[in-house]
Amino acid sequence: MIRKTLTAMLFIAIAGIFQAQPTYPYNGILPKSTTSVALIHGTIFIDDQTRIEDGTLILQDGKIISVGSKLPLPANAVVIDLQGKFVYPSFIELYSDYGITSTGGNTEKRNMHDAPSTGSSSDKGAFGWNPAIRSETNASTLFAPKEEQAKEFRNAGFGVVLTHRADGIARGTGALVCLNDNPNLAVIVPQSAAFYSFNKGSSSHTYPSSLMGSIALLRQTYYDADWYSKGGHKEERNLTLDAFSASKQLPSIFDAGDKWNVLRADKVGDEFGIQYVIKTSGNEYQRIHEIKTSNASLIVPLNFPDAYDVSDPYVTRLVSLEEMKHWELAPANCGMLAKEKINFAITSSGLQDKNAFLKNLRKAVKRGLTEQDALKALTTTPARLIRADKEIGRLQPGYWANFIITSKNIFEDDAIIHENWVQGKPYVIEQIKKKSIAGKYQLSWTDSKYDLTIVDEGGKNKANIRVIQTGKDKEGKDIQDTLNYSVSLTMMNEQMSMTFEAKDNQYKGMIRLAGDIEDDGKKWSGKGQLPDGRWIDWQSERTGEPEVRKSEPKTESTPQDNGEIIFPFTAYGSKTQPEQETVWIQNATIWTCDAAGKIENGQILISDGKIIAVGKTIDASKYTQVKIIDAKGKHVTPGIIDEHSHIALESVNEGAQASSAEVEESRVIDPEDINIYRQLSGGVTSAQLLHGSANPIGGQSAIIKLRWGKAADDMLMKGAPGFIKFALGENVKQSNWWNDGSRFPQSRMGVEQIYYDHFIRAREYGANKVAFTNTGKRGAMPTKPFRTDIEMEALYEILQKKRFVTCHSYVQSEINMLMHVADSMRFTLNTFTHILEGYKVADKMKAHGAGASSFSDWWAYKYEVKDAIPHNGALLWEQGITVAFNSDDAEMARRLNQEAAKAVKYGGVPEEEALKFVTINPARLLHIDKMTGSLAQGKDADLVIWSDHPLSIYARAEKTFVDGICYYDAVKDEEMRKAIEAERARLIQKMMLSKQSGDPTQTPMFRDKKHFHCDTMDQTSMGISFK
Amino acid sequence: MKMKLTTYICSLLFCCVAAPLLAQQNPTPAPAQTKSVLILNGIAHIGNGERIENSAIGFKDGKLTLVADARLIRLDMSAYDTIIYADSSHIYPGFIASNSTLGLLELDQVKPTNDEAETGTFKPSIRSAISYNTDSEIIPTVRSNGVLLGQITPRGGVISGTSSVMQFDAWNWEDALVKEDDGVHLNWPGVYHRHYDKGKIAIEKVKTYDQQLREIQLFFGEAKAYCHAGKQSQTDLRFAALCDVLSGNKTLYVHASDAKSMTEAINFKVEFNIPKMVIVGGYDAYLVSEQLVSHGISVMLERIHSLPRFNEDDVDLPYKLPKLLYDAGVKFCIQNEGDMERMGTRNLPFHAGTAVAYGLPYEEAVRALTLAPAQILGIDKDFGSLEVGKNARLFISKGDALDMRSNAVICAFIQGRQIDLSSKQTELYEKYKKKYDEQKK
Repeated sequence: MIRKTLTAMLFIAIAGIFQAQPTYPYNGILPKSTTSVALIHGTIFIDDQTRIEDGTLILQDGKIISVGSKLPLPANAVVIDLQGKFVYPSFIELYSDYGITSTGGNTEKRNMHDAPSTGSSSDKGAFGWNPAIRSETNASTLFAPKEEQAKEFRNAGFGVVLTHRADGIARGTGALVCLNDNPNLAVIVPQSAAFYSFNKGSSSHTYPSSLMGSIALLRQTYYDADWYSKGGHKEERNLTLDAFSASKQLPSIFDAGDKWNVLRADKVGDEFGIQYVIKTSGNEYQRIHEIKTSNASLIVPLNFPDAYDVSDPYVTRLVSLEEMKHWELAPANCGMLAKEKINFAITSSGLQDKNAFLKNLRKAVKRGLTEQDALKALTTTPARLIRADKEIGRLQPGYWANFIITSKNIFEDDAIIHENWVQGKPYVIEQIKKKSIAGKYQLSWTDSKYDLTIVDEGGKNKANIRVIQTGKDKEGKDIQDTLNYSVSLTMMNEQMSMTFEAKDNQYKGMIRLAGDIEDDGKKWSGKGQLPDGRWIDWQSERTGEPEVRKSEPKTESTPQDNGEIIFPFTAYGSKTQPEQETVWIQNATIWTCDAAGKIENGQILISDGKIIAVGKTIDASKYTQVKIIDAKGKHVTPGIIDEHSHIALESVNEGAQASSAEVEESRVIDPEDINIYRQLSGGVTSAQLLHGSANPIGGQSAIIKLRWGKAADDMLMKGAPGFIKFALGENVKQSNWWNDGSRFPQSRMGVEQIYYDHFIRAREYGANKVAFTNTGKRGAMPTKPFRTDIEMEALYEILQKKRFVTCHSYVQSEINMLMHVADSMRFTLNTFTHILEGYKVADKMKAHGAGASSFSDWWAYKYEVKDAIPHNGALLWEQGITVAFNSDDAEMARRLNQEAAKAVKYGGVPEEEALKFVTINPARLLHIDKMTGSLAQGKDADLVIWSDHPLSIYARAEKTFVDGICYYDAVKDEEMRKAIEAERARLIQKMMLSKQSGDPTQTPMFRDKKHFHCDTMDQTSMGISFK
Repeated sequence: MKMKLTTYICSLLFCCVAAPLLAQQNPTPAPAQTKSVLILNGIAHIGNGERIENSAIGFKDGKLTLVADARLIRLDMSAYDTIIYADSSHIYPGFIASNSTLGLLELDQVKPTNDEAETGTFKPSIRSAISYNTDSEIIPTVRSNGVLLGQITPRGGVISGTSSVMQFDAWNWEDALVKEDDGVHLNWPGVYHRHYDKGKIAIEKVKTYDQQLREIQLFFGEAKAYCHAGKQSQTDLRFAALCDVLSGNKTLYVHASDAKSMTEAINFKVEFNIPKMVIVGGYDAYLVSEQLVSHGISVMLERIHSLPRFNEDDVDLPYKLPKLLYDAGVKFCIQNEGDMERMGTRNLPFHAGTAVAYGLPYEEAVRALTLAPAQILGIDKDFGSLEVGKNARLFISKGDALDMRSNAVICAFIQGRQIDLSSKQTELYEKYKKKYDEQKK
């Protein structure tokens, strides 16, 4: 804390006070602003930087007039002595829905299956089509003070809150309001910030039904707003877009939550030149480097999890390592953010009980957040983030008189807030007592005497009576007995009442006393009633000072006691990420899947992430720092590539509409999915993360490398082209839904029309776009603005052969149909995936130029796969088609080498060719074969060392390299298992201690991702999934 | 000298025995064995943990008459009508698919083909045998990888019903029966409960667990009283179906996977004095192995090819569960319940192969598909191993049958009858291969 001398900080009172000129009639005699208030002798924090001892704060009309040390007091001042007290600017809450009344709109949630599939127009007026975009919402028009909520905020130290209607993806604007009861005074900025989220909220529209759909809808809205403001409003009137455009000028606050969503939100902002202020979930410390790089300012909650009740070792297994570690590290989040100089405000949102706010704030301070940074995050930072830093957040002349008076330094455990002043009006939280009544007293009446002790515990009085009672035991001996009565003591100014339950020889039962404090607290007296109802006159004389009870400072863990942050923040993450090595593998059987074929007793050298050489003998003399691996008896293959995967994704299907070409899996990658590591242990190095099969035109896929520990964007494979998922058959026509679907198409016949319709539209869109661009080039202004449509962009890319199609397909009729569509639109279907009846049309596929990515032996799980055969791969391969085997299944993906073996078993594909089904062939299908998929000089060092023949069930991956980095090592894996066990054991001990010390606990609960397949929906609760 | 190639002999035999191909029809069940067969020089995996590198195996009238080391015995070749030279091929007892729904459900998403679960909660009298469809097109695809027998098991509810052991080459279910009504299946109520919560799987302790347990106890209590009372004027089919379980004539199969549920099931066994109990599932069985061993409880171990249940679990935990149980002395077999279950039955041998890759001795892995399930199902007197007197149910694979790289079943026998290894799938393969071959001409 910086202590600046007060003399330097004298503020001059603003000359001339203007009288209030209210527009509203006053019920009574109109009060005038004729007096001011002067708070004196307190320790005043002007802002997070500046502290004044023996300060004077003068206010009038709800605003601060002057502040400084020992200022002259105006004649009209009411003087309040704050000797020993502290004064802080009151806190600012940026994230709340305080006082927002529900608009009563349609908030009924409908599930995927009975909601209207698509909305084409709005049913509420001249607004946008999708009710999740509700930019027209103006929170100030929905606001009315709510005393109960206001009180909770004030008790936690807040004076101003930014409130908004937390509903939808674009939520409209929030109002900056003070926590008092007069709405006309309370609202200080009606439209202070615009709010956004990924959550569609109460919208009953099925679109969007996924995180990636939310992102796409928001992006499209930005494009629409741009078009609209440039002239689109001449084509249609859309009040939502009017409001959306207007609110772009305001600070934009994004309720993102989890750390990855913070980065996702920031990326959307970057695209449109907007830096969001992002509300987080409190786990940013887990990815602090990326968060810092985003440059976003944050709004950070203090919702630290309770310890888990880990007394039962079996039940404890439900608690994941990351949950345990987060319990330990969450309170350190703010401190770590501050240390990294990340700009953040603190929010009380997310706390079940606002009473926990100060407790958690102090916890954060004990865990590394400086008091100054804490204060900053609650006052000046939030003020600045919403551009209100000339009005609130400091105690300076001209600012609103919003401050709190505390008993001592607010960050001390037992500090209490006495009063919270809002716009110059005091709200009492815990009365300021003139003098402490703590001490020892003798309480007496007629024939009774009691020793009474009063202790001041954090500003609250705790009273206790001790009686020493003499008597005789059974044998007649004198004995002494000490009795303790706890006394309930209520004070009201100079009046007090006490009750206690007596259990002595004289009285048994409740004794109730009431009286006054006299003689400067030295004497109390009054009347009371004994258990039998008799009235008495009692008095109490002060006999001494209270014993100073120093409460044991609760030992808080030091950083040394805490575990390390691991990457990724889950089991099998590491403190440090593995690095590229120069490795020389010798004596191995090398399956190059390339021109060199299979090399017995071969060598391979990798360095800087690339394959330097592969062959019978190689020259590695240039490399001095070489790690040599003797792979005698072992096999080396290219890393396995899974052409069809749904791991590492937050969402798979955006199936509400027949086309969702606008959604991108690359925006919803979950780099902490344990299946990434599990698949590395099965030799997988790359995968195409595909959209599902819920609609004929699905979403854009993401091609990743399995770089375990890296952030989402760093998983994306650079240089890989864009792909999109299409789907045919039962899933897209909703055949296996338990109730009848309604979204077009419902038959294979409709599917064809969807394709023609969309491609013709995309062609027209493209022509239109070219025309606009050309007009611009010729220097002429287009007569109309061009509206970018991200769905059409994706489809237009297909027509331009810049984006490739992977199509989920089963039966021959529709496969042929789609090839006709593509032929007539002059593009080539890149890959048919699943393609279980491909063997029936292999000749046609060959003629068209399509590849196949199939299952080895799946069938009979639905009607359209009743003719599937395990010889499919072999038959397609024999026709000269590029054939891959894929997983579509997180478990099977770790055994894809064995799936390749089935091409040998069923249909007799030669072993080397079969291995290509999971290496170079999928690489070719994905157009990444120049980079990976085979072992040849200059290619990425993506390879696997196997213990045995790679097509054998007995082969275990011993080491898996991606970009020359060993991301899976069987030996290191054993060490990590032990480390996980040790870390859990440490945390379990710590949680048990926490439980013993009386801290609240929560019941263990297992939370894991859904394992996605083709038709898994984000927002349904279906446990079943089919391919 | 043995000049003929095994494949040649077998395909020759195949041609003799197999009915002419009928497009899109399941193969005809083979007729009863009339000619005696001797298989010479194959590597015999007996099923009981033993192995004979150069074996002589003879069978007649559907029964094994000779299982010996060919180098150690004097053979009267003339006593056999057919001799198969199985040089360095592998011979196994037919693999057993325990806890299977093969024949009860054909196409997962086509409801009319689904007979795997009856509605209701307590339904021990429900019998899977009568629903077993010998004409399922999936069955031939399973046989051709060496799986020749199965415990066909109903699903659903708390007590899902009674299973039966069926063999996979039959005209009808009566024909297929190996052991009728071998036991009753009880799905232990989860101590934990799995549900979806905001896109994530959540597991928490079931609040109604005590209530569910009480209902099971009450049901078994009533059944016990009913069975104890002997002949009654009224028959309650539900309780009557439990009498054999309570007396030990049938097995109680308790489907349970986590340690707490299994411990509860063991306590239940003691409380109701249930003589024969088998755990079906048993992901956590290695954690409660002492209790399982001391109560004589075997485990039908859940699918080996599955994902670890918890992120922190060893990434290969499901793969090495058989090894862990073997080391702990728990009797177990390997089964395949789950996603892609029926069509995946043909991959059952490979689950055992994975167990070998992760530490289980090879012949123990064979045992886990043969003698172990036979013993658990109580059919080991006639089935489960290559031992004289037992049913001649075996197959020859050109290579190691537990590895997809080498699994190539060339002959298979059920009761000594050589079965047709073709299927709808091989027919479709031939049909389209022919189409493309003709295009090339």
